[in-house]
Amino acid sequence: MKKLKANNLRAIVILGVVLVIAVGYFNLVGIGNLSDFGWGLISTICPLGFVETLLASKLLIPRAVISFFAVVAIVIVLGRVFCAWVCPVPLLQRWFPGSRKQQEKRIAEALPDAEALPAATEALPDAEALPAVDLLDEPSGDLPVQAALMPAETKLKLKSAAKPKLKGAAKPNNFKLDSRHVVLGGALLSTAIFGFPVFCLVCPVGLTFASVLFLMRLFAFGETTWTILVFPLVLVLELVFFRKWCKTICPLGALMSLISGLNKTFRPSIDNSRCIKTAQGVNCSACSAVCAENIDIRNPKTSQSSLNNCTKCRNCSDICPAHAISFPFLKGKQKTED
Amino acid sequence: MGAAEESSALSRRSFAFAAGGAAVMLGLGTLKFVPTRPICRPPGGQDEDSFLGACLRCERCREICPQNVIVPAHLEQGILNVRTPTMNFKEGWCDFCEEANAGIPLCEGVCPTKALRLVPDFKPEEVVIGKAVINRNWCLGWLLKGCKKCFEVCPYEAIEMEQLEGLGNYNNSDYQRPHVIEDKCNGCGLCENRCPSMMNSSLTEGATDRAITVHAVTIQGD
Repeated sequence: MKKLKANNLRAIVILGVVLVIAVGYFNLVGIGNLSDFGWGLISTICPLGFVETLLASKLLIPRAVISFFAVVAIVIVLGRVFCAWVCPVPLLQRWFPGSRKQQEKRIAEALPDAEALPAATEALPDAEALPAVDLLDEPSGDLPVQAALMPAETKLKLKSAAKPKLKGAAKPNNFKLDSRHVVLGGALLSTAIFGFPVFCLVCPVGLTFASVLFLMRLFAFGETTWTILVFPLVLVLELVFFRKWCKTICPLGALMSLISGLNKTFRPSIDNSRCIKTAQGVNCSACSAVCAENIDIRNPKTSQSSLNNCTKCRNCSDICPAHAISFPFLKGKQKTED
Repeated sequence: MGAAEESSALSRRSFAFAAGGAAVMLGLGTLKFVPTRPICRPPGGQDEDSFLGACLRCERCREICPQNVIVPAHLEQGILNVRTPTMNFKEGWCDFCEEANAGIPLCEGVCPTKALRLVPDFKPEEVVIGKAVINRNWCLGWLLKGCKKCFEVCPYEAIEMEQLEGLGNYNNSDYQRPHVIEDKCNGCGLCENRCPSMMNSSLTEGATDRAITVHAVTIQGD
């Protein structure tokens, strides 16, 4: 299997973030953790924590509002980059036994056959010479050829999902309600009723950093507390019972996906002249199989998950056998699909 | 998109996650009614309800405290309190940053959501972090062993030594017992910090803590 370069890079970045925060725990600067991270008056705030404390305390603190809009700006420019490059939860999940095997199997099925691949990549047309438009009979996503090449299961899903939306103005970036948004609603409702940030109690990000903190305090001051056992236990339970926590539960991701609808930059873009599926009709759906957010960037219209859920993890770009996927600042004209 | 179409986008499986997750969130909210003993908060966090509503558990107040008196609360101190800042007067005491920041508490300044909130012209005497309580079984002074450390260090003159009558020489400091003057004590914790009991080992039989400890008092509303 192809090595996912970005996977390792992300792990390094996340561990770096944990390290910086852990060092910060024991100096007098007060940089805080991901709930509110910064120096002095300049900080980023957990957007969910902000909304929760706003509902619970009914206090609009100018500084917190500024921090919140700083986060909103980051999400607009970089999308849900937090979820792939900062949040420790996906990394913890990757370390769980079995989680990788499942993904590898899915990707192996989605990649083209070994004998088809070398021929396909060798016969790669010169991207400059062949305009992408010439290679397409129809806009991608609705290609009958493509549908025929897909595994039966995907085809079925595609059929049912595509039908009502073909005529609708379904833009690729359209908001799609999923369970996370309902959990977010529940968390905010509960916060408003009971008057304290409810999700913070079980937030796996908070639990991770608190576990690190209490572990450090155990060694530094001999501070013993049940918390040091209970927190990692709750964290493990959350991640074991909800293998797809990020995709099905996380209200923080849900909140950011609402904002990232405005994100137009650094979105994954397929060079159709290079993609072996559009250019040569080879049966390949590796990019969609590798996506942790279930986004089918090849077929955005029928994708189970919309593009605003993209966390810019770059796995699709890494897995693509034709190196056809890039994350340009703004999508260039020549690479436009439809 | 209509509401019907939106909900049809939720498969049965994700509906279960959605309903379950939202229900758990509402259930977690009821943890507020688990009875917990009040704990001491850093200056400005004395209104417990509004403090708990605004605290993000970001650790910034704890990190910045020059006295290291702020510590994260443990599970044992209440489910809702875990990770929130509380005071450990064995580590330090609150001088309202008199030394480090000219009397303006750094924790209150760094708090992003103003869970810690002081009025601009606050007086340390009026910010009641807690009240000191003397354990009469452990206190060397109370046991007439001559200790009056707390009396000596208290910055607010909130401890008085009671001269016992009929027990010898009027000037004999061994015949004095410490009392906390509740109205003057703001729970700064210097007495607890300096109390020799349990500092290195137990000085009095059965002692498991300092002989003078600060306890939180509940204040509701503004």
